Amino acid sequence: MRLELGNFHVRDIAFGDTLAFQDGLLTINKEAALAYIREDDRITEAGLYIARPGDNIRMCPVKEAIEPRVRPDGRSIFPGYEGELAQAGDGVTYALKDCSVLVVGRHWGGFQDGLIDMNGEGQKYTLFGELNNIVLVADTNEVFEQREQQKKNDALRRAGHKLAEYIAGCVKDLEPEETEVFELEPMIKRTSDVEKLPSVVYVMQPQSQMEEMGYNTLVYGWDMNHMVPTIMHPNEVLDGAIISGSFMPVSSKWSTYDYQNCPNIKALYAEHGKTINFLGVIMSNLNVALEQKERAALFVAQMAKTLGADGAVVAEEGYGNPDADFIGCYVALEDAGVKTVGVTNECTGRDGQSQPLVTLDEKCDAIVSCGNVSELITLPPMDTVLGELDALARDGLSGGWADDEILGPSVKADGSIIMENNAMFCGDEVCGWSVKTMKEF
Amino acid sequence: MKKAILYVNQFFGQIGGEDKADFAPEIRDGQVGPAIEFAKGLDAEITHTIICGDNYIGSNTDEAVAAILDMLKDKEMDLFIAGPAFQAGRYGVACGTICKAVKESRDIPVVTSMNNENPGVEMFKKDMYILKGGNIASRMRKDVKVMTALCNKLLNGEEVGCADDEGYFGRGIRRQVWLKEPVPASQRMVDMLVKKLNGEPFETELPIPELDRVEIAPAVKDLKKARIALVTTGGIVPVDNPDRIQSASATRWGRYNIETADGLKGGEYKTIHAGFDPGAADADPNVITPVDALKVLLKEGVYGSLHPYFYSTVGTGTTQAEAQRMANEMVPYLQEDNVDAVIMVST
Repeated sequence: MRLELGNFHVRDIAFGDTLAFQDGLLTINKEAALAYIREDDRITEAGLYIARPGDNIRMCPVKEAIEPRVRPDGRSIFPGYEGELAQAGDGVTYALKDCSVLVVGRHWGGFQDGLIDMNGEGQKYTLFGELNNIVLVADTNEVFEQREQQKKNDALRRAGHKLAEYIAGCVKDLEPEETEVFELEPMIKRTSDVEKLPSVVYVMQPQSQMEEMGYNTLVYGWDMNHMVPTIMHPNEVLDGAIISGSFMPVSSKWSTYDYQNCPNIKALYAEHGKTINFLGVIMSNLNVALEQKERAALFVAQMAKTLGADGAVVAEEGYGNPDADFIGCYVALEDAGVKTVGVTNECTGRDGQSQPLVTLDEKCDAIVSCGNVSELITLPPMDTVLGELDALARDGLSGGWADDEILGPSVKADGSIIMENNAMFCGDEVCGWSVKTMKEF
Repeated sequence: MKKAILYVNQFFGQIGGEDKADFAPEIRDGQVGPAIEFAKGLDAEITHTIICGDNYIGSNTDEAVAAILDMLKDKEMDLFIAGPAFQAGRYGVACGTICKAVKESRDIPVVTSMNNENPGVEMFKKDMYILKGGNIASRMRKDVKVMTALCNKLLNGEEVGCADDEGYFGRGIRRQVWLKEPVPASQRMVDMLVKKLNGEPFETELPIPELDRVEIAPAVKDLKKARIALVTTGGIVPVDNPDRIQSASATRWGRYNIETADGLKGGEYKTIHAGFDPGAADADPNVITPVDALKVLLKEGVYGSLHPYFYSTVGTGTTQAEAQRMANEMVPYLQEDNVDAVIMVST
């Protein structure tokens, strides 16, 4: 399978008369874009904004991030979700780089939503503080979940995915600045130079804990709660086969942008043929019942063994209950003789003294640690808030609270905030971006 | 200039060797022994030196601590330093003991230094900064230099880095940090993976603490003849809590006679456990410590006999080391009474 990713680097974004990309400047006709978004009659209110690195902007509640992309051959960039089912990961896709579409609730947030700062101390907590962002701030008529802590955010998330494809439409007929090629020979048809290297699988555990449909990560539009682990080509992940869910405490979340750009996959690709033979992805999940966890670990270890993998990397999208899946899968792989590395974040409590994962095992001797969900963060007010900052305190965001005996409310009268890292949008970057680690003090 | 006070033992206080180890605490104006070395780089004036014999503080701990705290009472002090204690076990424990007492009573930073073989490390590393020191006194200059560097950060309100960077024993506190060299997780993952695959040494970022697993005991052969005992970490005690068991992070336990009782009555027993809503357990302590059910089963002949006491402590926040020690203290009573099996009731 061969994926050619044609890149257009966005150096700035402006609103103007027509949707266009020229010399690094992305121009968007705001009204036309909003009219397109309002075609979904669930959208009751919508605004479009630009948030660049260094802008004095705070966003909350942020629900999703997507890299704008388009396929010149007309296929959907999210097959089985936005368009007809088709093979992802093969052919040509164009991408607007250094740029993302962010979806922010105009009013209502929830457990799975987060915060992004574009300036100051808070900027470093999320990748999106470093990107040129097109920000859709909108509300919907989904009143059934307005006051629910868990939200499907379906209308808003879909609006974001559609907007990302709509905007990237302006480069459809242009020549990319550069082309990245992702190509792996079939697993059993590789040259002897590659085959003599230790073979490696990347095991992904996206979030799928909700029994009710509409919240979980999707693969080609299919709810991942309803699957057992399977083999995927890494290109499928990089090319829109996976849609981020709407469930996890948000610093643990892998947004759709994170799947489209998954650094762990790119790092394994970069080593392919040099130090490793990158076999591909084993796509697992994170279901809630013990039997489902054990079944998934069994499938993963079996597939790794059947493929003859010498090594594996396991990464989990979450903490707490999913730690059982993460450790269980890691141990199953080690027991199958597969040398494994884990990637995760930790939850050590506000005093830093709690056990880092809910379960541990001595066999897990190689772990890359990306952050602490329970770290307390205090940030000053920002000039502009996109969305509704009160949501952080009011709506049960995983790192916010309405009141606390000692710390007071998360959102202060002057717009300054105190929160747990838990609510930093995709802040722990277990997908591979993280330049944080955990140290003992 | 800020002010600091140093604690040393009889040897470093230049009183004498082992023969002077019973030396009662004294406070001297100015700098004695290692204080002179500290003074070279410390961003504070060492105004006093406290000297105390290792045996004295070891055998009269409460008195020694009280006397030293009294000596410090009217002294201005921004920092308290003890040692370095190297591998000297009694000295290390003394440094830890007095640092902990000063930290609790004065709310100022305390710093000491010990070798990793010093028993004081395990006892006190969670309570204070203990720098990793040499094993012998010839390392004095080096250890003092490392201590001074950390002391100055504390005195100047600078951020103290992680245990590895600063050279102190980890205090069991894990926090996120931004890497000085911003290597993304994906690259760290690949580096670790390739090393592990090639059998080269690698360093995990999440060291797994050594787990002390207890094998499940074989089943009781003949329950009808078995002598059974009841142990709980649910904090059930007589209402006046005669053994003063703590409500969290317990270090004490008690055993209470149930020979004649048909069960535990609310009002006579209660829970002092701070980790759950005590309402149901206070109303009926049997829900945590099922003496009532065991008495019924005993009458029915389901098992042989009941050990006349139940044992109780509090599990919440209690360290594994303390739990193990308390269990080791309980076990002889059970063995002496030929107990065959224990029902361990948590909450």
